[in-house]
Amino acid sequence: MRALTGPLYRILLQRRTSLCTDNSDGFQSSKVKIFDRHLKRKQRDRAAWLMRRKDSFVDSVAENLLDRLEDCKKTFPTALCLGGSLEAIRRLLRGRGGIQKLIMMDTSYDMIKLCKDAEKDVSNENIETSFVVGDEEFLPVKESSLDLVISCLGLHWTNDLPGAMIQCKLALKPDGLFLAAILGGESLKELRIACTVAQMEREGGISPRLSPLAQVRDAGNLLTRAGFTLPGVDVDEYTVRYGSALELIEHLRAMAETNALLQRNNILKRETALATAAVYESMFAAEDGTIPATFQVIYMTGWKEHPSQQKAMRRGSATISFNDIQKQFTGGCSSS
Amino acid sequence: MVRVNRMLLRDGGVGICKTLSEILVCPLSKQPLRVCEKSNSLISDAISVSYSIVDGIPCLVPNDGKIIEADDTLKPDGAIDSLDRKREGQGDSP
Repeated sequence: MRALTGPLYRILLQRRTSLCTDNSDGFQSSKVKIFDRHLKRKQRDRAAWLMRRKDSFVDSVAENLLDRLEDCKKTFPTALCLGGSLEAIRRLLRGRGGIQKLIMMDTSYDMIKLCKDAEKDVSNENIETSFVVGDEEFLPVKESSLDLVISCLGLHWTNDLPGAMIQCKLALKPDGLFLAAILGGESLKELRIACTVAQMEREGGISPRLSPLAQVRDAGNLLTRAGFTLPGVDVDEYTVRYGSALELIEHLRAMAETNALLQRNNILKRETALATAAVYESMFAAEDGTIPATFQVIYMTGWKEHPSQQKAMRRGSATISFNDIQKQFTGGCSSS
Repeated sequence: MVRVNRMLLRDGGVGICKTLSEILVCPLSKQPLRVCEKSNSLISDAISVSYSIVDGIPCLVPNDGKIIEADDTLKPDGAIDSLDRKREGQGDSP
């Protein structure tokens, strides 16, 4: 193995990579690269510094996600928190779900360092936290070792979302829970419209400024494709008001949600930027001058299969026939 | 009190805490890792890649891994490449 030189080695590594995701296409998995992961790491490093504590939008999403832990009687001793708004999850956890060991994982080292430093400010609740720098698409976790995987607003930046979810499922113990919140297709539709209009006016063409986001109907498919049982999807729309379009951009920077598409145009002309802000304000401003931005959050829930979960019964195993039910309701007269 | 002790134990020595050592595997090959005290890193023997540990936090991003050469010295070389990125020598920041 060690005697292999560069290019051969890389092919081998690529093959090994494709073994990580459950793919029936053979060796080469569908490596559609939409997002620039390297840039996303850098943006997250920056966001670690720009991040606002107690951001109301991020906090409400995290709160909503963590609330779901109280809906089940099960406790989750070992949990993994994947990217996105790690710090909010940790701060708002408040002992829910009976978590004893929490592993925080993110692609950005600075973000992890921030969480580690913030650890002292959070009440301990007897939770042992560990920190790892890792990629969601290449999960460095042993099979069947976690009870819970949480990801709050992190997975919509993965290139291979089904693959990432499959790896999460493999990492879960039987009857383990997968909870994720991702941004949906309706998010920032006002910004999308304003960007398109301004770019058409100023530059005569459009380059992608907003990432493709999952639709609600796809979320269910994603869960079943990854092999989760009892899938649950629900949607929430948050409208956040800003004083100006530039404040919206500042907020997106602080959340590390800025453009990281591979096909992005690296140049943004000042006129186009100002035109976008102007279009946004003229099209969408409210009477008091504030502008709204829609964030559509899709919450996904999935469980890893376990014999104790309810399932549809085997065909032919029915014990009551429709005739009997009919007799019950029509009071003894069976027809045809 | 207990909180302080836990943090000290984690950062005091070389390597990673017990919980992580039980759960972590190589992100590429999914094989177990071993701690190398000398270079303060996690080595995946299956594919001869080493991942550094900075300040008690293991860095298991495939791009940051270093391929170990046959003579056992660490050469700064990206472990996973993507054709549109040139990564030359990811040094650990102490």
